[in-house]
Amino acid sequence: MSELPRWEVFKQDGPGKVHQAVGSVHAGDGQHALFTARSVFARRPAAVSLWVARADHIFALTKQELDAGKGLSEGNGGTFYIFGKKTNRRSMTLGDHLGTLEASNPQAALEAARTQYGDDLLVWWLVPDSALVRSTDSAETVESWFAPAKDKTYKQQSSYGVVGQHASAHKKAVRGGDHD
Amino acid sequence: MTETTEIMTETLILTEALKTALTARFTALADDEITLSHRVAEWTGHAPLLEEDIALANIAQDELGHGTLWLGLRAALDGSNADALAYHRDAAEYRNVPLTELPKGDWAFTMVRQYLFDAWEVLWLDTARQSSYVPLAEAAAQALREEKFHLQHTALWVERLALGTPESTRRMQDALNQLWAYALGLFDPLPAEADAVAAGLLPDVAALQTRWLGLVRGHLEGVGLSIPSASELSASPLPYSRSQHTEHLAPLLADFQRVAREFPESQVW
Repeated sequence: MSELPRWEVFKQDGPGKVHQAVGSVHAGDGQHALFTARSVFARRPAAVSLWVARADHIFALTKQELDAGKGLSEGNGGTFYIFGKKTNRRSMTLGDHLGTLEASNPQAALEAARTQYGDDLLVWWLVPDSALVRSTDSAETVESWFAPAKDKTYKQQSSYGVVGQHASAHKKAVRGGDHD
Repeated sequence: MTETTEIMTETLILTEALKTALTARFTALADDEITLSHRVAEWTGHAPLLEEDIALANIAQDELGHGTLWLGLRAALDGSNADALAYHRDAAEYRNVPLTELPKGDWAFTMVRQYLFDAWEVLWLDTARQSSYVPLAEAAAQALREEKFHLQHTALWVERLALGTPESTRRMQDALNQLWAYALGLFDPLPAEADAVAAGLLPDVAALQTRWLGLVRGHLEGVGLSIPSASELSASPLPYSRSQHTEHLAPLLADFQRVAREFPESQVW
């Protein structure tokens, strides 16, 4: 079952916030991808909405590729959801939903997005509307998929004091122990 | 909310007989959750997909959390200790339904069992939200939220495996044939539960069985699986019940309880 296709996951942390690319799951279809995404990415902390899209249905381009003159492959026109990665600083997310636009093909959508959202983004993802599968906004779904996480303890990785520390901090601690 | 609780508690007179019935039901619920949680947790590190490994670990934790909830309700009635009950009772004292103690089997078996159990639990909790015993009504409302997600997740797997390949269809039908009679055991009323049901404290499991049959029959037959007939079932009735366990419970508990029994003085884990 490791041959199942990969789906990119977009999570919205709260009302009024944008969907952010948080990682991927393998799943047989869009609904299955949503369920696994909920377990993998939305059990802690709270979220209010999930979107998934098959990775091979996303039009993606990096700044380096753009600078080298590369464009997007051919594809149908329609509504595109534009995601962009703004910084290389370490982050839990891989890109933010910047907005939605209509275009006659992916390349035209990219050019419109560069005009609208700036030309200095590090990665562009263009997701055709038809490729997105969304969790429903019904009260029942929010209640059973997302609400339980709010009542549960959640710690960021950094609060465990082992992730993000330089290795020397641990070596020092060990040496300190030897002296005691 | 607090005000309501006080008013409800004042008007509700819990006789010793009703307390005994509630205690027995909370114990049965907790033991179902604990044993099933352990079986589900046995998949950790072994599930066919990394994502489902994580999802099942989540389900196992949720079920264990619900078990803790039920043991907490029992403690409020009889002053018992949840850890002592979970870790220091033997198989003969456990009151789970034999369905939840059966070995985890293959992926189809795990999904069918979880689906049948989730459907029962969603309906039981949904009804228990109306209980006149407010602590139960509140706990049921809390657990129901997670349980609805479990049910959607397992219903999805039942559909995909039943309609998947000839092999997955065969494994699903085999699992259903093995599990169906055990699942019906969920609807055996507990001894001395009738008065608590009549008093509006506990759901009527006979009425729940009708709703459950409607729900799971629709889904299972809708994806081409056949449910064992009444005549097949009566031809070989199960010799097991909540007080007569299969040979699988004792080894399950030995594994589940090993650390607690090895270090009985431990206070902090």
